[in-house]
Amino acid sequence: MIGHFASRRDILKGGAGIAALGIGALAPRSASAAEMTAREKELYAAAKQEGSLTWYTAHYDDQTAQSLGRMFEQLYPGIKVSVVRTTAQVAFQRVSQEIKAGAMQVDLLSTTDIGHYVYLKDKALLEKYVPDNAGRVLEIYKNYDPDGFYFVTSAGMVAMGYNTTKLAATDAPKNWTDLIDARWKDKVSLGHPGFSGYVGTWVVTMRKLYGWQFFDKLAANNPQIGRSIVDTVTMLNAGERVVSAGPVAATMESAQRGNPLAMIYPTDGAVLIVAPSGIMKGVKHPNAARLFMEYLMSAEASKIQVDRFGETMRPEVSPAPGVVAAKDVKTIRPTVDEIFKGIPEVIKQWRDTFGV
Amino acid sequence: MSGGLDTLAQPGGRGMLGRRFAFLEPSMALWLVLIAVLVFLVASPVVRILVSSFQEPETGRFTFANYAEAYGNWRQLRAVVNSIELGLGVALLAGLFGVPIAWAISRTDMPAKGFVRLMVFGAFITPPYLGAIGWILLAGPNSGWLNKLWMAATGAGHGIFNVYSMPGLIVVVAVTSFPYVFVFVNSALDLVSSEMEDAANILGAGTLRTTFRVTLPLVVPAIIGGLIISFLEAIALFGAPALIALPARFHVVSTQLWQFFEYPVRVEEAAAFSLPLLIITVLMFWLQRAIIGRRGYAAVTGKGGERRTIRLGAWRWAMLGYAFFVCALAVILPMTVLLQAAFAKAWGRGLSLDNLTLRNFTYLLFEQTQAQQAIVNTFVYSGATAFAAIGLALAIAYVVNRRLVPFSNLLAFLCMAPFVIPAIVLAIGFYAAYAPPPLALYGTAAILILAYTTRFLPIAYTASAAGLRSISAEMEEAVRILGGGRLVAIRKVLAPLLKKSLAGSWLLVFIPATRELSSAIFLVGPNTRVISVMLFDLSEEGNFEVLSALGAILLIITVTIAAIGFRVIGRDFMVRSAR
Repeated sequence: MIGHFASRRDILKGGAGIAALGIGALAPRSASAAEMTAREKELYAAAKQEGSLTWYTAHYDDQTAQSLGRMFEQLYPGIKVSVVRTTAQVAFQRVSQEIKAGAMQVDLLSTTDIGHYVYLKDKALLEKYVPDNAGRVLEIYKNYDPDGFYFVTSAGMVAMGYNTTKLAATDAPKNWTDLIDARWKDKVSLGHPGFSGYVGTWVVTMRKLYGWQFFDKLAANNPQIGRSIVDTVTMLNAGERVVSAGPVAATMESAQRGNPLAMIYPTDGAVLIVAPSGIMKGVKHPNAARLFMEYLMSAEASKIQVDRFGETMRPEVSPAPGVVAAKDVKTIRPTVDEIFKGIPEVIKQWRDTFGV
Repeated sequence: MSGGLDTLAQPGGRGMLGRRFAFLEPSMALWLVLIAVLVFLVASPVVRILVSSFQEPETGRFTFANYAEAYGNWRQLRAVVNSIELGLGVALLAGLFGVPIAWAISRTDMPAKGFVRLMVFGAFITPPYLGAIGWILLAGPNSGWLNKLWMAATGAGHGIFNVYSMPGLIVVVAVTSFPYVFVFVNSALDLVSSEMEDAANILGAGTLRTTFRVTLPLVVPAIIGGLIISFLEAIALFGAPALIALPARFHVVSTQLWQFFEYPVRVEEAAAFSLPLLIITVLMFWLQRAIIGRRGYAAVTGKGGERRTIRLGAWRWAMLGYAFFVCALAVILPMTVLLQAAFAKAWGRGLSLDNLTLRNFTYLLFEQTQAQQAIVNTFVYSGATAFAAIGLALAIAYVVNRRLVPFSNLLAFLCMAPFVIPAIVLAIGFYAAYAPPPLALYGTAAILILAYTTRFLPIAYTASAAGLRSISAEMEEAVRILGGGRLVAIRKVLAPLLKKSLAGSWLLVFIPATRELSSAIFLVGPNTRVISVMLFDLSEEGNFEVLSALGAILLIITVTIAAIGFRVIGRDFMVRSAR
């Protein structure tokens, strides 16, 4: 099966393009019942009765999220997936509104702010489900919640992207603190921690390393502030800004499509984001949600993510040669507790410093 | 909600309600039903906001804490000031754009009037957030087309326009809201006869002097009306400020309100914070009355009088140039770059054959799991809203116009009240009142259609009332004298006579409903998403190619439906039936 996928990447690299990834190539297993495990079969049968699933996700850009949804529909015909891609805080905002209104719409929540899950678990708003696949992911992604309410289903890095037509590799910044150099005035592109979980985690990490002064100085450089971290890719592509604190996967995926982008892995460490998923309590499609949870931790889902330059969850799926993965570079990441406490704090600090 | 016409169809108040109120006059029962619908749609959400702004979130006890929280922060206070600045700037600019064009089209021999009119209509159907995206592509400080052109032409190191600024936001909003001013002033000017202008001419005044001293003063109420609408639309707008103000590093009231919905959801604080918008709006209308009320504008009688075209000579080309300039800002430039982006692999690579693709459209229509549904939802909800709003408005306008019930003015007042409630505030009211049990409407199509209906009720009512006023009651009376009931009179006489004007009113509600974002943003669920909200979510990532493609789909369908409408009712429904 892996061989099959590898050839798909070759096609992709050969220039068949993203379209192949989106539709054409998505027929790896055709969900033959024979290959399903007993649990999978049981869940699938029950999920088919439910017929659909609503998935709020902040883990990837819209295209990756939609490909994952479509792949699931192909693997498990008869279950329609509604993929709502937003930033982490917007997804959480909608979930909070649903909780407050007492009308849960979402089945499965995937945000990039692990603090959300600490909170939701604490308030008993998550449904416990331990996927079979939870034991089959890479060691570093196991056991974030030993009680089985949420599981890491994707990971990615925040590093520095830059526009290669506006900046030579030799002139590019080397580490995060370079960004506060006056040389980068009006040249930096950032997301917003009040929207993006990636940005929130990055800000918490920077504050831990360099204190809030880092952001006071960064503010003096007048960075462009968008919402999603993915927005920085557009800003670099357009030539609006030159350097970003940006997402590795979306930036590299865009570079591969021919855009003038490259990545710098800062010497003080790219920030590794581990992003969990959890099933909400009292949802309308619990079995579909469980099946989707299994799917997110499957080799198939990892393959799609790796093809779009994300991290693999599974040891048997490896990125194509030459693709930089988290294991190849120095990464840093705050603890779950630091994120849980830190993100709400840094959002406030950010608003005071940057005005929005 | 379709109750509007149904209730009208049962003036006897049959059923339980009827028996219970048997001792009342039938018209009283009708009045009660209409009042109940309006209370549900209008009064209850607003009262809910007022009440919850004084409540502790957990206990519901009385408190001023929400106000202290909402205004105890300089950044939040600043947002109020920014909103007012935005509103004033937009109103002023919309006036500068709208009044001269309205005058030129109504009174002068400016050429290419049809084209200019079409462009103004184009500006009317363009959602402000789509215009904002167009202007980000045009005037992004380093990457915008206009700035690139400027840099290429002058060799300058950086561009001259910065869309990410307060002036940038003002321009972006003004170019989508000047059609309000245009419609108001144009229809008023169409009613001013040339007699007074002639008098001025005879007394020696030139064209310019006559225009400024006679013609325009006569339509001051219409100008003020248009400016106020522009002001109110601007301060209540959410989408365009979210796209532009955040990167520009400032907040306005609507973006700040959105923040109150972050975790933990602070509806009570949001309610407290939305009060200035309500107060400002009420003040505006009071101001309008104060300005207009004291003087007589009887010249606008609606009655005949000869209207001459003013000959501008060579100046008519200058006038056309100005109109073209405004149309370029409002429609031609942003639509060109949006279309380019919609068909581009990467918009930054410009116009070239190898950059052309249909991929953004195929992605939306076949791979994206939500777009198809969102497109269907948008038009179904907008259509349902238009029927519901027109049905209800017509029932009320009929009752008010024919004075069938006592206190009919209260009905009219409630119908017009949503006009002074900013959409985003209305949405918060609906969320607070109807999202939780017992009604538990969160995530349903019903809550969106109800909120839209309330939002557009004033337009529907004004249009319906105007249509009804033009039809004398005598013809219905004739039917009744001949033995037909009121229903027969309505069906056989009124309905056929009103058909055209109703279709126009329907479009006037339908078109803004298709682009409505401010009231949808807090009320959509994953299965009731509409294009506007999807555009907003997609805009987070800055994926302008797909965004533009979705915007293009929205506009193409809207224009098609409007074109069918034009065929049915004749070209200028916008001008004739608008307020």
